[in-house]
Amino acid sequence: MATAIATPKRKVALICSHGGLDEAYPPLILANAARQSNIEALIFFTFWGLDVVTESKVDHLHVNLAGNPASGMPTIVAGLPGMESLAARMMKKQMEELDLPGVREMLQILDEAGAQLYACELAMNMFKRTKSDLLPQVKDVITAGDFFELSEGAQIVFT
Amino acid sequence: METRESTANGAGIEAVLARMDAMQEQMAYLVRRQQKQEELFSELTPILKEVLAAATDRFGELEKDGAIAFAKELLVVTRKVIQHYGPEDVRLFGDAVVKILDTVRAVTQPEVLAIVEEAGRVLQQADSAEPIGIVGMVRASRNEDVQKGMAVMMEMLKHVGHAAKAMAENKREGDSRKERLARALGPKKKKVLGVERPKAPVEKGSSEAREWAKREVRDMGPPTAGCAVPGEAPSQEAAATEMDGVGFTKDGHLADPKAWTRDLAATIAAAQGVELDGGKWKVIEFARADFEAHGASPNVRRITMGTGLATKELYTMFPKAPARTVAKIAGIPKPAGCI
Repeated sequence: MATAIATPKRKVALICSHGGLDEAYPPLILANAARQSNIEALIFFTFWGLDVVTESKVDHLHVNLAGNPASGMPTIVAGLPGMESLAARMMKKQMEELDLPGVREMLQILDEAGAQLYACELAMNMFKRTKSDLLPQVKDVITAGDFFELSEGAQIVFT
Repeated sequence: METRESTANGAGIEAVLARMDAMQEQMAYLVRRQQKQEELFSELTPILKEVLAAATDRFGELEKDGAIAFAKELLVVTRKVIQHYGPEDVRLFGDAVVKILDTVRAVTQPEVLAIVEEAGRVLQQADSAEPIGIVGMVRASRNEDVQKGMAVMMEMLKHVGHAAKAMAENKREGDSRKERLARALGPKKKKVLGVERPKAPVEKGSSEAREWAKREVRDMGPPTAGCAVPGEAPSQEAAATEMDGVGFTKDGHLADPKAWTRDLAATIAAAQGVELDGGKWKVIEFARADFEAHGASPNVRRITMGTGLATKELYTMFPKAPARTVAKIAGIPKPAGCI
């Protein structure tokens, strides 16, 4: 069993740019899977993705079915008021059944697992948010340039 | 026997005679009609000539306007329609038209129209209506007129539901073509995520292991988290490599979980760069017990929830891929799932 081959340390940098409940999970799950596979992971939350790490928004992320052909629901129905929260509630129920942690818990797990979470400075200015509006797991507010410095040697995934 | 036959014959002849009498009357009637039709024809002929002449002129104009070409195209369309729809469809269409007309008649009854007119009047004055909330709605429901309106709505809903149920049953019985149409057009029942809650086969593990799981840590029930679903309990995988007479799979897990011993665990741990202490042993034992009870290796989330350890502590104990390292040391297969 002592066949440890020295491989270069793998690293993945995920960009989370959407704020839907369904759109928040892919980067979180990928980052978590990376950490579980001994791969370094960092997530850069930008634009609407900022909602995912914003204290007042993280528990109220919605699912937008309108204009999504995979939802199977006609856009005219999906666009009705209340459909977003209904879809979000249904999705949360499904996730509970699968024992998937919620977004807030997922971020805690990620932080404990050693994934690094960063928020985009430009988006913060745009949405008029300060570091105190964000979850404590967010390590820092950085610029796009900082992101590229931090993600040196990493595979970058945009979600 | 004979008498009965003769009576039957007698009755038969009488019936035939009666019918012939009736036919005579009909013949006379037909002749009268024929005469009348001839008269009509002679009267109509000059008129028809006029009409034909006018129609020819009109056709000439239409031709100029391109209407004939349009009609020709329309014929092509008609032919296509005929090719794609059989008499059965036309019959169904006819039924539908009758139903539509029935509905229109029902809706245009004066009483119904009066109600609609009243509602329309209210809608026209919609800008003067005050917005109300739930409480306002409850208060409004005390009004007798509102109560009556609610009763009407409920009755309508009941009938809509009834009709929808009948339609669903009809569709189930309908022929394949209709079924396909219904499936293509009707609303679909589906799961939001497309993931069914896995029903993992609960294996009767060794009672000892189960009891340990209950005493020391939380029994988690069958695993559900993540994308991969534990199917059947992973059977013994073919050993790819062998070390000291013990087989390992190609991804470095013990080929036969039953071959596991505590000494072997210590050896594997050392190879992984992990030094086993009390806390780590607890995790390893939980993983083994959980695997034996449910036939699937626990992932990080199951381990943390089952042992009560924080994710951070688990990552500190097994810094490199915790769930995989634990599974390797515990001599169980690679954990499935994403969480």
